[in-house]
Amino acid sequence: MSITLSRTLALAAALGAAFIASAVYASSSAPEARTAKISVNGMVCAFCAQGIEKRVTAMPEAGPLYINLSRKVVAVQPKAGKALDIDKLKREIAEAGYEVTAVEMVPKTVAALREEYRAKK
Amino acid sequence: MALTHRSFKHLSPVAGGRALHVAATAAAFCLAGLLPLTASALPMGSQGSWMVMGDSSPDGAKLSANYALTRNDALGAAVGRWDEEPHKGAPGSHMQRRDFAGLTYTRLLHRWNLPLAQANLWFVGMAGSARAQERAGSETLGSASLLADFETTRVYTGAGVEIKRAGPLRHDTAYARAGFSFYEVEYEETQPWLILEAKRERYSLTTKNTVTPMLRFINKSYFVEVGGNRDGAVLNFMLNF
Repeated sequence: MSITLSRTLALAAALGAAFIASAVYASSSAPEARTAKISVNGMVCAFCAQGIEKRVTAMPEAGPLYINLSRKVVAVQPKAGKALDIDKLKREIAEAGYEVTAVEMVPKTVAALREEYRAKK
Repeated sequence: MALTHRSFKHLSPVAGGRALHVAATAAAFCLAGLLPLTASALPMGSQGSWMVMGDSSPDGAKLSANYALTRNDALGAAVGRWDEEPHKGAPGSHMQRRDFAGLTYTRLLHRWNLPLAQANLWFVGMAGSARAQERAGSETLGSASLLADFETTRVYTGAGVEIKRAGPLRHDTAYARAGFSFYEVEYEETQPWLILEAKRERYSLTTKNTVTPMLRFINKSYFVEVGGNRDGAVLNFMLNF
């Protein structure tokens, strides 16, 4: 009996920990891991890269945009309540004449990324 | 309007903002027909965009505009002029003017998107007509150009050849450019560059070599170059929208 009780308590503790962990993950990631940080080859000047800005900002779900030419990064944050279509984002950047090499979803806003890159200068 | 005696000092840029103002003013003059301009830079924008280009030098000018139908093709039109000596060393000879206009086709032949650089190979063709100052009537004009460039955020190199023929008239150009940027900037800021161009032009009877240092200012929608050589001032601009 004591073995059954201990096993039951252990199972309950494990389930409780799993529940707490998922609740913490949900609260910390869902509203923050929204910005797409895209690595792009070929971006060397603003006059040339403005085509990326025009095409991406024309996407209805695209919110704040940040382009960093020295880091070769395009960061796009979705508008509130909307989700980014990553495949469409990659197509728009390709149609602008550039090559996407990687996409990473980061739990930061575009403004935070901009400040982060400025601090690293 | 003759540009031969215009001094570089009158077009010296102080800052990117003023250079853009100069470019906008030059564009306005061009559209008014008072200052013909000529194009000689990145020949097209991204799909669905317009590119307006103007180039001005003491012996030539062109204004052109094109629309990017695809990411590799643009159609447009150009008007311009070039002045050439009728005969090298001929006493009392005056520069002879040729005016031209035509439709243009621009094709991005290939682009290399590299981790830290971009390289491009372009074709630009034009078909239209040209008129010589000393001759009656006009000639059918055709030109073809191959342009190549390689650049990073701090270094630029470019070269091109253009063959332009209209009956007995001839204006062939070969150029090479190299330069660097003083510093990197944020995407929204204006970036200054120092560019050196070496150009050889072959006319019907003469040839000409020029070396022109230029200051280039690049912004998101504006591209302006101002410079000067022994003949006078040079102004190039591009607007993309």
